[in-house]
Amino acid sequence: MTDKRPIIKAINISKKFGATKALSDVSFDFYEGEIFSIVGANGAGKSTFIKILCGYYGDYEGEILIDGKLIKFESPRDAYEAGIQVVHQSIEQGIVQNMSVAENLALEMIISPDASFVYDKKKIVKRAIEIAKKMDLEYLDMDKNIQDITQSEKQMIIIARALATKPKLLILDEPTSSISDREAAKLFETLYKLRDEGVSILYVSHYLAEVKKISNRVGVIRDGKYGGLLYQPLEISQIVKAMVGDLESAFKRSYDEKSGKKLIMELRDLVVEGSKYPLNIKIYSGEIVGLIGLIGAGKTELAETLFGIRKPISGEILIEEKSANFKDIHQAIKHGIHMVPENRAVNAIIPEESIKNNITLPFLDFFSKFGVLAKKNEIKASKRMIKDMGIKCEGFDALIESLSGGNQQKVVVARWLLMKHNIVILDEPFQGVDIKSRRDISKYLQDTTKKSAVLMISSDIDELMDVTDRIMVMNRGRILSNEKTSEVDRDRLLSLITQE
Amino acid sequence: MEKFVAFAIKYGFLIVMAGSFIGFGLMEPSFWSWSNMFSILLGITIVGILALGVTFTLIVDGFDLSIGSTAAICVMISSYVMVVLNMNYMYAILLSILLGVTIGLVNGLLIVKAKIPDLLATLGMMFLIQGLQLIPSAGMSIGTGMMLADGSEAEGEFAQQFLFLGQGRLFNLIPIPVIVFVILAIVIYFVLQYTKWGRILYAIGGNEKAVKLAGVNVEKYKIAAYVLSGTISSIAGILLAARIGRGDVTSGGGLLLDAVAAALIGYAVLGVKKPNALGSVVGVIFIGMLLNGLTMLSLPYYTQDFIKGIVLVAALIFTFGLSKSEI
Repeated sequence: MTDKRPIIKAINISKKFGATKALSDVSFDFYEGEIFSIVGANGAGKSTFIKILCGYYGDYEGEILIDGKLIKFESPRDAYEAGIQVVHQSIEQGIVQNMSVAENLALEMIISPDASFVYDKKKIVKRAIEIAKKMDLEYLDMDKNIQDITQSEKQMIIIARALATKPKLLILDEPTSSISDREAAKLFETLYKLRDEGVSILYVSHYLAEVKKISNRVGVIRDGKYGGLLYQPLEISQIVKAMVGDLESAFKRSYDEKSGKKLIMELRDLVVEGSKYPLNIKIYSGEIVGLIGLIGAGKTELAETLFGIRKPISGEILIEEKSANFKDIHQAIKHGIHMVPENRAVNAIIPEESIKNNITLPFLDFFSKFGVLAKKNEIKASKRMIKDMGIKCEGFDALIESLSGGNQQKVVVARWLLMKHNIVILDEPFQGVDIKSRRDISKYLQDTTKKSAVLMISSDIDELMDVTDRIMVMNRGRILSNEKTSEVDRDRLLSLITQE
Repeated sequence: MEKFVAFAIKYGFLIVMAGSFIGFGLMEPSFWSWSNMFSILLGITIVGILALGVTFTLIVDGFDLSIGSTAAICVMISSYVMVVLNMNYMYAILLSILLGVTIGLVNGLLIVKAKIPDLLATLGMMFLIQGLQLIPSAGMSIGTGMMLADGSEAEGEFAQQFLFLGQGRLFNLIPIPVIVFVILAIVIYFVLQYTKWGRILYAIGGNEKAVKLAGVNVEKYKIAAYVLSGTISSIAGILLAARIGRGDVTSGGGLLLDAVAAALIGYAVLGVKKPNALGSVVGVIFIGMLLNGLTMLSLPYYTQDFIKGIVLVAALIFTFGLSKSEI
């Protein structure tokens, strides 16, 4: 490592928003030919740091040296010209819809101020192929509309475009959040190749397993301050500790199988849409059950059937040993089935509303008399949930947008734990949620699940091993395995999940 | 600076309003007289009621372009019922309201069930109604003693009780339409602020899918918003017919844009940035007051739309422009 030289040095970077200090005196060096990851809990200042490097905030304090030369970033253009390229989390933001593959690859030729006034298709395609070669994308049909290629191909195009400018530093912000595991593996191969060619890569991700796997060094930001550097060999527990300090260590709760457990939900030969296999599942009170499988395994279809969004093709759902026939979500809730859907921004958050209004939404009947809301009761209930789940906020009246992602997720989970229920289904509850919030939510579930049950759906095996009492593996519509978490063999489970 | 901007966003509009109220009065003392106050209020009631109606559809992130023409067709239908058909005025009122409900229901079904975008569905409905209102009277305005198609004279007339709704005054001072407007405004404000229906309507406007996944029958609420919009518009139409005392085919002109402008100005009141009943009422009163005051100061009538436009653009800047931009 010593033979490499730092190309970019960020020294004592600080940034204030109003009176609050988001970052103070954070310094990192980036070397050529290495993958450097930055980690930090939500709200730690990670994204502020990245945005400063990308030139979004002109009013930072501290120095950025590029090849030993001091450069002041005033706008994203400055960072771009200094050789810093960013691939943002949202793939859709990086591509231009309604344009062809070639046009997206050679975008600079079309939109830059010095672009030729005349649209020369031949030239554009020629340049596009040049750029495509950097990422072995020549096989793509250049005339194809960008909408007709896969997510990961789109992402590769964005990276190829960034590489075409011969960047000094390539920043990847949560690049795996919207692609599959297989696509991610391909992405990593590419990153290794780039690294070996001498490109300096700054990698930002919530998935610590990825960080552990691909990084040469890991920089930690904690509460807005420099939180140390970690070197290979990395351990996830070590990264977590650096991020959030000592957490209550592995809280394997003692789940007592005998103590008066009651059959909460039973599926009898339930066949859900898109599958031909009948499912037979029993879930008991006090249990946290994990359901794992790849995208397309049928997890979402099952969840949606249990919550009344889809109708089962055949079979029966029994709640507390009585057949429950519900036709819609409203009736599913009446049967005590609650569901936290995946992707909170799209499916759960009501923007520009208070935390309170977001929590009580499904149960306004309970909080009103003849339609008139009993706000006192609402406030009491939301205050209770804010306290119990450790939601960091200015109060029950604060707008949902003022919270960090992890705390927003807590609000969404609180919405469905607020009232008595038989079972709560959580679909990918930890996507884009920092480790601290993840632990808070898990702990709350483990402490409160006694008379009810939890079904947690995820595609992340470590998440489930952390929280659940039992894990079921779903593969192409079938349950392949169902065993106690304490007895699970991780590798065997992984092979069951992916087996063809 | 940040505090000042926050203050301006919240109270700026009300301060401007209070300032112009004082300014007009100082320049023209009769502006402050009770009779002038009520004349301002009377002048804005029809548009004000329509603004309250359109607020419901704006809240669910929709739009109702047919409110003006719904009011207009109710003017025609109530005139037709009383003058041509020579029926009791109660039928005129009932039929108008029934028509308003029906138009709202059709709008709602077109948007929710047939999945036509709100602007297009209600634009189509607006045209349809504008044409439909001309058909019974063969394109003519309806007035007492008008000539009918068969050459005879219409026998009916506007009932006194009906005209009282538009022209009467309580205690010889407060116009009846103003009372109707105030009652409607209070009820709607209460429903939107303090009931679960109001909460859900706003939530639908924020994230329809999330509300659906919370077990709410979103379609029902959206249709209800359009039904309310249609019904409230028909009330405005009844009051308008009672005020002018004839079925004027041109009576609906300008109502739509004025009402929408008032509701949009309402976004700026107290910086709520959302459609709201109080805001719509304040918006419509502000425009009425401004035009009244400026007219007293001999502003020519043809500048009125220009003034309204300026107010609207300024209010939109208050609402959207001053708030922090996000990256």
